[in-house]
Amino acid sequence: MLRVFKEALLGFSRAKTMSLFAVVATGFSLFTLGLFVLVLLNMNTLIRRLEDKVEVMVYLKDNADMASVGMAIEDLGRLEGVDQVRYLSKDEALERFRADLGPDSDLLQDLETNPVPASLSITMKPGFRDTLHVRQVATAAGDLSFVEEVDYGREWIRRIDIFKHLVGVLGAGTGAVLSLVAIILISSAIKIAIFSRSKEIFIMKIVGATNGYIRRSFLIEGFLKGALGGSAAAAMIYGVSEAFAKHYVQITRFPEDYYLLTVLAGILMGLVGSWISLGRHLRRV
Amino acid sequence: MIFFKDVSVGYPRRGTVLEGINLHIGKGEFVFLTGPSGSGKSTLLKLLYHELRPSSGEVIIANFSSRRVKKRKVPYLRRKLGIVFQDFGLLENRTAAENVGYALEVTGVPRSEIRTRVPRILNTLGLSNKARSYPQQLSGGEQQRVAIARALASEPFVLIADEPTGNLDPEISQEIMRILLEINTLGTAIIVATHDYSLLKGREKYRRLHLSDGMLVYDGPVEGFRMPDNSTGAQAAGEIT
Repeated sequence: MLRVFKEALLGFSRAKTMSLFAVVATGFSLFTLGLFVLVLLNMNTLIRRLEDKVEVMVYLKDNADMASVGMAIEDLGRLEGVDQVRYLSKDEALERFRADLGPDSDLLQDLETNPVPASLSITMKPGFRDTLHVRQVATAAGDLSFVEEVDYGREWIRRIDIFKHLVGVLGAGTGAVLSLVAIILISSAIKIAIFSRSKEIFIMKIVGATNGYIRRSFLIEGFLKGALGGSAAAAMIYGVSEAFAKHYVQITRFPEDYYLLTVLAGILMGLVGSWISLGRHLRRV
Repeated sequence: MIFFKDVSVGYPRRGTVLEGINLHIGKGEFVFLTGPSGSGKSTLLKLLYHELRPSSGEVIIANFSSRRVKKRKVPYLRRKLGIVFQDFGLLENRTAAENVGYALEVTGVPRSEIRTRVPRILNTLGLSNKARSYPQQLSGGEQQRVAIARALASEPFVLIADEPTGNLDPEISQEIMRILLEINTLGTAIIVATHDYSLLKGREKYRRLHLSDGMLVYDGPVEGFRMPDNSTGAQAAGEIT
């Protein structure tokens, strides 16, 4: 086994150009795929951050009965997707309004009475911050007798929904295309590499090498090329990911498991590619 | 040792390539296989190393029958055969010694044995000083000698040479022939396919098989050969099948 491995390494160094081509093709394809995944991950982070701002504001009438409000808080809390229902007294609401206004909060200086109503702030669990679930909660709140008005940033949520959808569709489409290109590129590189050695395969057969022996040596080479290409891709992705993280503070880094996955994908492609292209040569006696 | 029993090879498009071949080649024989290009010489040799199977009839070589041998057993047959081609079939990126050793490596001969066997074979063929040369650094004759060395590495009982001198000039061709005959004296059967009839000159005692349009039209000593359309001569030779 060790000898077969050594022989594969030798074969690799002997067919330098073709082997290099296969490694570069693998590396480049997986690097592109990795970058794409990195972009997608950051898009998702962005979406999550936008969704964090999703909140249903329920403004209460000034004469709202505190006991009913208390019960409503419990009822609303039980609705599907609701994370937290928080009561904001008139004073707290004013404080929050002041904070929202920022430097313009001077405007509120001269008020004699507090014009801001008491309110309930309802936050949603992740995964429920979409139009459908938020509207259900808003409708339920709006039906309460002591509620003046419900505001949930309808337009904001709609936009997030569209954005999410777009990222999903474009992501899946681009991912599929990139994967396909990667598979075609890598398999043709391997095919060419093996074709360039059809004479060698012929000689191996003529001197009595079994198909198993031939397959084994080429699979080991495919494994090595794939591992090398995958590692190169992982290294390049790491470089890009770290460079961005250094310059743009809020980037989501490429997850550590994915580096391993990239190398494994390279190995898999190397093995499968070799297996398929060899099959054609070996079928002939 | 080698039997052809009513062997025919046909392809759907090309039609019949070999037809009704019957022959027997014994242990340690030396046989010339002649005939114009396209007469079926290469096809006949391919049947020997089971690159091809007959459409009908049976080819038996050693204890391998074309009827019964399984595809995965074919490599084990080939280890008992030495095969030499017109274009040498050497791997360009390996030295002469590596090319010879390669044949042993792929069949699982231990490295230590390869190390002793390869120099011995190269020496037999007068290639000791070329062991580290790459094929492109060798002359055509030297390359063919390396190819013969590789074919002999596995100590085959028969050496099959398909136009071994086809790419060589006459003088070198004669040298290759002398080498093949010498190998034969050591007990290895040899089958040489050629359409260069000058190689047969001075070797009248050896057996000659002549193919014409896929049929074996002569099987006898070189000296008795007559073309079959020269019917009197052929009958006089008494060897037409």
